[in-house]
Amino acid sequence: MQQGDGAEAQVTWEDQQNINRFGRLNNRLHELDDEIKLAKEANENLDDAGNELILSDEDVVRFQIGEVFAHMPRDDVETRLEQMKEDAAKKLERLEEEKESILAQMVELKKILYGKFKDAINLEED
Amino acid sequence: MAAAAASTPQGVTERRGIPAASFVEDVESYLRQARLDVNSGLAFLQERLQQYKIVEMKLLAQQRDLQAKIPDIEKCLDIVASLQVKKALGEALTADFELSEGIYSRAKIEDTDSVCLWLGANIMLEYSCDEANALLKKNLENAKASLEVLVADLQFSRDQQTITQVTIARVFNWDVHQRRSKQATKET
Repeated sequence: MQQGDGAEAQVTWEDQQNINRFGRLNNRLHELDDEIKLAKEANENLDDAGNELILSDEDVVRFQIGEVFAHMPRDDVETRLEQMKEDAAKKLERLEEEKESILAQMVELKKILYGKFKDAINLEED
Repeated sequence: MAAAAASTPQGVTERRGIPAASFVEDVESYLRQARLDVNSGLAFLQERLQQYKIVEMKLLAQQRDLQAKIPDIEKCLDIVASLQVKKALGEALTADFELSEGIYSRAKIEDTDSVCLWLGANIMLEYSCDEANALLKKNLENAKASLEVLVADLQFSRDQQTITQVTIARVFNWDVHQRRSKQATKET
């Protein structure tokens, strides 16, 4: 809360809970931004891998499983890659939906808190 | 376990060793009951805030460890599954692996009845593929469950920090208000 002139509205337990909730949402938002960045990179990497596979004409591909590169027939690799791409795309979609939801909730809370406290509270990113 | 959002007044008083920050209904009565003047009150609250921050740092470190551990276990499960697939096909698994930094070698893995699992503390045990699967799955579940608990701990700790920060601001503002009123009455 801002250091005001002392003549602002009293903070009730409900207000405190709203402030806490806003804090939690904000933290989750930052985490999500990081996770979304990683998910986008993963998607790009899988796309690149797919392209490389198409370009190469080898029958046996070295596919990374764990810490080793297993020799796998090209078709198996294609199937696995498709599955991985699908999973990665779904994950990214899920994360972006969560982000949308959180942003909406934060807008609502801002309305409530600014409504009551006006200048006495600052909910912006510094 | 009450992992609800409510902390106080009608809720949780602590969570796994982390004390809850008590919500102050009215600053004046809070200071009077605690028999603290404004500066001591602020000092006490600041110290509490620091303690919460230390707890948060510790929890964040644990969270990072767990978040690194989970993909590792998943990779292990992946490779055990691959070995089992190959065994079912009656084929050997040819793999290129890192012998030393930048140097790779080729291995042909034929007998895939068992794997060795690193258990930590310089101990490696041999397990059948099925046993290894079961053990790894259990470890994965435990890690995920621990992570969930940890995330809830972190949220609780951050909530207490927020409550404490708001209380500090309110005590400070109350003090400013008091001084202004006293000043006003003096001048009249």
